[in-house]
Amino acid sequence: MSNQIHLIGNAHLDPIWLWRWQEGCGEVLQTFRAAIDRLKEFDGFIFTCSSAAYYEWVEQIDPDLFSEIRDMIKIGRWVPVGGWWVQPDCNMPSGESFARHALYSQLYYYKKFGRICKTGYNVDSFGHCGNLPQLLSLGGMRTYVMMRPGMHENPDIPENLFWWDGVDGSRVLTYRIKDSYGHTGTEDLDRTIDALNAMLPEKQHDLMLFCGVGNHGGGPTRGDLGHLARRMEEKSEETLRFSSPDTFFETVCGELLDVPSYRGELQHHASGCYSATSLVKQLNRRAENRLAAAEAWDAVAAAVCGSAPSAAALKEAWKDVCFNQFHDILCGCSIMEAYEDVKNSIGHAVTIADRTENAAQLRIASRINTWLDGINEPVTLLRHHCHKEDFPRPVVVFNPHAFPVRYPVRTNYPSKAVTDAAGRAVPFQNVRSSRSNDSHLDTLFLADLPALGYALYWLSWLPDDEVTETCFLPASEDCASDLRAGETFLENEHIRVQFDRNTGTICSLVTKADGYDFAAGNRLAAPTVLDDHTTDTWAHGVFRFETVKGEMELESIALAEYGPARAVMRVKHRYGDSHLTQDFILTSDAKMLRVKCKAVWQEPFTMLKAAFPLNGTDTVNTYEIPGAFIKRPTNGEEEPMLGWADLTLTGTDGARHGIAVLNDGKYSCDCPDSTLRPTLLRNVIFADHYSYRPAADFNYTDEGLHRFEYAILPHAGEAESTDVAREAAVFNRRPNAVPVGYRKGDLPPVQSFLSVTEPNIVVTAFKKCEDGSGDLILRAYEAAGRNTGRVGFVCDLADAGFWADFRAHEVKTFRIGREGYVTETDFLEGIIQ
Amino acid sequence: MRLPYKLTAQPARFCTQYANGDPAVPQALYTVRSAAPDLSGFPLPLPSRKQDYTCFVQTGDVCWYGATTGLTRYEPNAARKDQIIQFFAAERDLQDNCVLALLADGDAIWVRTETGVTHIETRLVGAEEKARMLLHESQTIVDRWGMYSQKDLAVPRDLSSIFPYGHSDNDGGFTAAFAVGELFRYAVYKREKGPDHPDTIEARRTATRACEACLLLLYIHGRGDGFVARTYMCAEEPVPENGVYFRIHGDKAVCLDTPATRERGSFLKMYGADLKNNVSEGHDVCWAGMEIDASAPIPERLTHCFTESGHTREGIFYKADTSSDEVTLHFLQMRFAHDILGPDDPELDALIRDGASALLRHIISHGYELCDATGEPTTWAKWSERYFSTELGYVDACLNAAEVLSYHKMVMHITGERGEWQESYDYLLSRGYAELTTKHFDRMQQMALLDGVHPYEDIMYGDHMLAVVSFWMLCTLETDPVLLEKYRQGFRSWRSSLEREYDPGYDIPYALATGDDIDMDRMAQWLYRMNISRLAGGVSTMKRHDTPVHLRPGGYKEISWLLPNDERFISKYDRNPFEYKDVDSGGLFCVESCYIYTYAYWMGRYYGFFE
Repeated sequence: MSNQIHLIGNAHLDPIWLWRWQEGCGEVLQTFRAAIDRLKEFDGFIFTCSSAAYYEWVEQIDPDLFSEIRDMIKIGRWVPVGGWWVQPDCNMPSGESFARHALYSQLYYYKKFGRICKTGYNVDSFGHCGNLPQLLSLGGMRTYVMMRPGMHENPDIPENLFWWDGVDGSRVLTYRIKDSYGHTGTEDLDRTIDALNAMLPEKQHDLMLFCGVGNHGGGPTRGDLGHLARRMEEKSEETLRFSSPDTFFETVCGELLDVPSYRGELQHHASGCYSATSLVKQLNRRAENRLAAAEAWDAVAAAVCGSAPSAAALKEAWKDVCFNQFHDILCGCSIMEAYEDVKNSIGHAVTIADRTENAAQLRIASRINTWLDGINEPVTLLRHHCHKEDFPRPVVVFNPHAFPVRYPVRTNYPSKAVTDAAGRAVPFQNVRSSRSNDSHLDTLFLADLPALGYALYWLSWLPDDEVTETCFLPASEDCASDLRAGETFLENEHIRVQFDRNTGTICSLVTKADGYDFAAGNRLAAPTVLDDHTTDTWAHGVFRFETVKGEMELESIALAEYGPARAVMRVKHRYGDSHLTQDFILTSDAKMLRVKCKAVWQEPFTMLKAAFPLNGTDTVNTYEIPGAFIKRPTNGEEEPMLGWADLTLTGTDGARHGIAVLNDGKYSCDCPDSTLRPTLLRNVIFADHYSYRPAADFNYTDEGLHRFEYAILPHAGEAESTDVAREAAVFNRRPNAVPVGYRKGDLPPVQSFLSVTEPNIVVTAFKKCEDGSGDLILRAYEAAGRNTGRVGFVCDLADAGFWADFRAHEVKTFRIGREGYVTETDFLEGIIQ
Repeated sequence: MRLPYKLTAQPARFCTQYANGDPAVPQALYTVRSAAPDLSGFPLPLPSRKQDYTCFVQTGDVCWYGATTGLTRYEPNAARKDQIIQFFAAERDLQDNCVLALLADGDAIWVRTETGVTHIETRLVGAEEKARMLLHESQTIVDRWGMYSQKDLAVPRDLSSIFPYGHSDNDGGFTAAFAVGELFRYAVYKREKGPDHPDTIEARRTATRACEACLLLLYIHGRGDGFVARTYMCAEEPVPENGVYFRIHGDKAVCLDTPATRERGSFLKMYGADLKNNVSEGHDVCWAGMEIDASAPIPERLTHCFTESGHTREGIFYKADTSSDEVTLHFLQMRFAHDILGPDDPELDALIRDGASALLRHIISHGYELCDATGEPTTWAKWSERYFSTELGYVDACLNAAEVLSYHKMVMHITGERGEWQESYDYLLSRGYAELTTKHFDRMQQMALLDGVHPYEDIMYGDHMLAVVSFWMLCTLETDPVLLEKYRQGFRSWRSSLEREYDPGYDIPYALATGDDIDMDRMAQWLYRMNISRLAGGVSTMKRHDTPVHLRPGGYKEISWLLPNDERFISKYDRNPFEYKDVDSGGLFCVESCYIYTYAYWMGRYYGFFE
């Protein structure tokens, strides 16, 4: 039989875009009803639809319609595809988020329809990260349908059918839709069919044509289907058939298949999407990390304290997060009003996470022995009580990472001394709090925390009469510090940072181990304003942002803090009506300089970048992508990133050096030549599609107040040989301090519940299995891009300890069952066999 | 420039078994009392559950923890990561896994389990010393008229119960690989010790004998058409059921009646073969009783393989239905025998040239298929487009294309002639064979997708050796840059499955052929942790508490990490080392050939990867 064109009836549904979710929900209901009607009217027609979230809406709001859909699925007339919650952006969600998309969606499909989706389906998403083949495969999907970038945007990616190889070597058979996922109308359909027919002899395999009104839903119209049916019947066109992506892939796999392969990421379509609307991006990062931490502590508390796990609430929260990763939402290109909804929705998820974590940590903390002889009340948090009795107050610090962490912990109220559980003095200082009453000082101390565990610290109360107005507290002899600071410099054991007093930028950044100066004639961390008025919210057609309007001007620079735990240089800049305050924070023993930013932004059609120009050759860009990293050329194209981006080059001394810039909610960066420029803000009109701008009093995506952080990690060697993955993990998922009372508990003062032996293995999830069995799920990925054998995991919590081999970039999921026996599984947690 | 990896002497396990009450066992072992160790907060995964540990003893810096499920050795300051935690289990190390008592004996220990006593000593053994020990075992126990694959036992681990006969389905292939290892050893000794050193002379003798055993398989059948037998057995041996055999009587050979013979006929019929002209009268499908010509002489040089044990050719029966595995490894053996032995042994070299030429000529003249006496192709030795267009052949095509191309390059290398070989090679190139060699990964993925399994479930581990040999030869013998790039691309398409094994026998040829980096330390570990004996031990990869099991979508079970060689089942170059199973690949009842180690080790030495 000759090759065929598979007609894929579908309706692209944006639940939020140029409308709010309520309208999107209505659009789903109407589209699904219409699809059922068309299925009844046209024998042989098959309807294809993705996104579990839509099915759940229909199930909840219109059970009768849902029942009809289920019947159609049973007989193969309706084919669910894309085993993810929505069609998310495929660059910005974390690897863990993609796991959750698959977990909640595929389990939903399995429960409701008795099957999971075999085909990944993101026909509108604006780019596809290089680890997606693995993330799809682990969610049960080894075939994939995408469309963007189109041939006009990236002709290197094979046209239509190809093997797509991810960074880890995973492979999915991928179909790139030609032109549109929503062909409709007689003329358009005929033209497209003719074009595909013409391609068949050359391609030597079947092709797909996607038809149906889309974006705001709709699906194939009665007219379209009538026309297609007539054409098939009247012209006896054997090459046309109503079909589904599943059938298409089964068909091509059953034949001689000789198609090209393509390795790496599928980019670029909308380069502005990774920086537009900082709000949703920051919320997304926050929610992802807080939920993961909350789940871990929830699982620990359930095991240690016997508390009921909060699985149902956490699942709802994750579904909120997944929903808001829809490509038009997370990409910041929906209408302004929609982001009020998004804020509430992700806020809901974060609240669930915080509540869960708080309850879990307090439960665990209440079991820790904090009793001191002489205490006459079993429980007290009254600091004045401590003060009066001269008892130190106990604080338990929880580390959510499966590796030990040294972290500057901040707690309420100032202290006179801080000691660890063994009575050793701990570097600390009293720092200015955000409050202006009471003591107005907090304690900041350096906590050494065990892997996924806690450590108890004792803080001695600083009497009111000893509280001073200065934050410059010298180190005590007990805990001599490596920190040094002056009017324009910060220094510790590892790095020395010199600021230019005229510009407030870094004019010297030296790593002491090798004496290499990364600035050497340049100015680092220069806040640079770029013009961005010629393109739209997506930045359609623009892949480089090149027009520099100017650098922000220095308003002031001053040493704001200096103590044994940390030193802070406060630098204030201004540009037009906009202001940026950056606190450059250097902590004792840290290899990284943290920068805490407050921006009040008023400049329309601008982009704010922090520029890091370096000297050297053989430049290589490395970016974190979901569950992995990728190398990219330093060609100035605006690129998506997750928690860090890096520029490494051969420095003036002939050795390899690099700077990684970490962030807590930014997703965009470029690197023209040897200047790394993470994008901090992008202030363009909301939902400005192809810059059609009837006059209005516009609202802008990033106007107003922003608080965010980034960090600078200078290093020797290539990015992947450093601790950047772990540092970024800690930067985004931070240890938490919990003040506790005095209790006679049965838990020791320091305890680890889960640890991993190898530094390049990062645990991203530790949670209860979704099937309610009580089993634990542990997920980790290899972060240095090298095959790593014999990685040990120790989880005394479940009496488990096991080894595993990781391929470079491999993501692995383990299910820890009864008596600590472990199975390796995938994102579906072994629930579906 | 790759610097050689310096192999050092490493601890090896010496386990001696005793019966309860044996006077050699110290009485203290029966009276010693030991509390269960406190393993709370233990920093590493342990092979047994913590609550299963019942006793412990310390010997120097090493702690031994006995459990009801095996014995754990903990050396926190061990030089290598893989040596920090080691597991000892039945039946290779212990008699059973329920450890009752431990008693220190200097750096060694006595272990009492439910059914007996074991003395365990870890002695430093060099990589070359280990090769010698393994070779000695194989020569003493496994050698069967110069062939090295395995010997069977009536009682597991009881060498006194060894069967005098026995063979393996792939005797020829395994022996060829053994021969290559010995050829490398001879070359290394010759280079390092000189040609007259006793070790060199002994190595040459061993290598020559193995090569002669391989070459004999090209002649033993007397067909005179370049066919190669899988193996052969002497007259008095019982006829196994698992193959197609022909017994030689004078100038004729008669097909023996075995279940496999009957199945083979049915198999061919099922695939539409016309057997009418290929069977004796009265035998429609089954070939049993079919008489064929066997008059071609065996070169005098090779007959000693069976005559030295008092046998003659009369009554010998050989195994037909040879697969591409044998053919590929025979060519490899002939290539290196020609290179290493040929210059000093013109007689042998002539046999190699003739044998290699005849074999390839057979393949070419039969339309790129190896044919049995029936004129029909054997089940698995097909490199023809006809086969590639079948469902089975579609998947095999990429490997088989590389195989047959490599045969041509090797024969051209051995004979120093191009002529008919180049003509045939060019023909295959014109039919797209070189391109086909690059498609392995694509087709493997396609089939896995179609079957709904993970690609790893579709890996044929026996193909790894064949792919390595074929691409190694292609990449090192081809000089055309365009073809060379294709072959390298083809080799790289196997890398993702090859690298699962960290086997130097695969990785060294890969590095030689592609120039890509390989993990030398993992290769060293593979050698270091190889057992000092190939006696099957029934070591299980199942039920270890520190070893997750991975259920693949198609239902196949694997373990999540590559256990060291001395903690997993023994296998040849044909098994998935991740297999979740509890017996050795050859079963409990055998001693296997040393070639898996000697081939890899001496190859590493020969090419300067190890010193």
